[in-house]
Amino acid sequence: MKWGIFFCVMVIIGTIILYEWKKIKTYPKRDKITFFILLIIAGALSLFDLPNLPGPVTLLETIFRPFGNFMESL
Amino acid sequence: MEKGKISSLQMGMIMYLTIMSTAILTVPGITAKYAKQDLWLSPIWASLVGFITLIIVIRLSKNHPQQSFFQICEQTAGIYIGKLVGFIYVCFLAYVTGQIIRSYADFILTVYLPQTPISVIVISMTVLAAFTVIGGLEVIGRVSQIFFPIFFFSIFIIIILLIPKLNLSNLLPIMEDGILPSLKGAIIPQVWFGEFFLIIFLLPFLSDQSKGRKWGMITIFMVLFTFLTANLIVLFILGQNIAGSIYPFLKATRFVNLGDFIENMDPIIIALWILGSFVKITVFYYVTALGIGQWLNLTDYKPIVWPLGILIVQLSFWSLPNLMVINQHDETVSPFLGIIMQTFIPLLLLGISSFRKKVKPVKI
Repeated sequence: MKWGIFFCVMVIIGTIILYEWKKIKTYPKRDKITFFILLIIAGALSLFDLPNLPGPVTLLETIFRPFGNFMESL
Repeated sequence: MEKGKISSLQMGMIMYLTIMSTAILTVPGITAKYAKQDLWLSPIWASLVGFITLIIVIRLSKNHPQQSFFQICEQTAGIYIGKLVGFIYVCFLAYVTGQIIRSYADFILTVYLPQTPISVIVISMTVLAAFTVIGGLEVIGRVSQIFFPIFFFSIFIIIILLIPKLNLSNLLPIMEDGILPSLKGAIIPQVWFGEFFLIIFLLPFLSDQSKGRKWGMITIFMVLFTFLTANLIVLFILGQNIAGSIYPFLKATRFVNLGDFIENMDPIIIALWILGSFVKITVFYYVTALGIGQWLNLTDYKPIVWPLGILIVQLSFWSLPNLMVINQHDETVSPFLGIIMQTFIPLLLLGISSFRKKVKPVKI
């Protein structure tokens, strides 16, 4: 966990909210929820040490490894 | 959602830059690893995937005119499965955008700015792309209209300057081990041809719908032609040494030397790569933002562009600590993921939608 990255991302998120707030106020509820959910996911991800954290890439590698091995053996 | 309109010629230019920008540098090296001196044959096999994808996409949009891809999913597969497929596509597009930004940053880092932290390169490109995405489809269309001639002619000027250095005997022997090595080499370039799938997101915004198919076909031929020339030039200059280098076209460009005066052309290639990657990143970023908007039936995609930008930057680092892991990942995962997401699932949707059109439900 790196606090520097986390605080940087928090500052960026704050700037985005301040910058978009005037426009987002006029949009319907669904748009607002999507906007904030994306920001919350981004904020939550910044808590981790991403390069060494297993994620979607690891999942895809587990799924497609047999195909890759098959290709190598051809 | 999107009120802008582009012409089908602009769509062709967008797709050409989207595909060619990254392909011209990295693909010859990976292809040569499998196909050796037959690497120039591989794009021909790979382009078949491009033609099939284009035909599937055009037929799909003819069956469902003026509808977004996510609406097509919901209409063919039912609301729940359609939403699930839409979710998978949104994740796939965001993930691919992250990968593209990362490969761009790695290139700049290895050849041009070795001292700069990678996050600076990634974030600056994402911010630039985000501004263009907020500008909308028309802006992307015009940007590629300006960049296309610069990209296309610079590459051909470099190829012409390289003509005195060509060693044609590197081509031989053709098909030494039969056709299989060149087919194996086609597995990587087919991902790039499969990216013609993105046309399905642009088709509803064309001002001249009927010409979409024609310009799509022309674009595939142009991409194939550029691929062939680039692969042949690289082969003629580097011979058997291609497989060892990650960016063979850049290496080949360093051979330009006309009367000891015109030389050191590689900065032009780096500039072209930045220019083309910018269009590619913008297009994928735009499609991801538009996709999320269409998938969730939002009124506008513009507010989610900036939050999505943070996510894309994070996705470009997630589980990818160094260049070695990325290259291994590119060779084992992306060929299979690409063909499944870009060709097979649209084919399945087309099958279901054609079947549904033929078998009309009986009204009681």
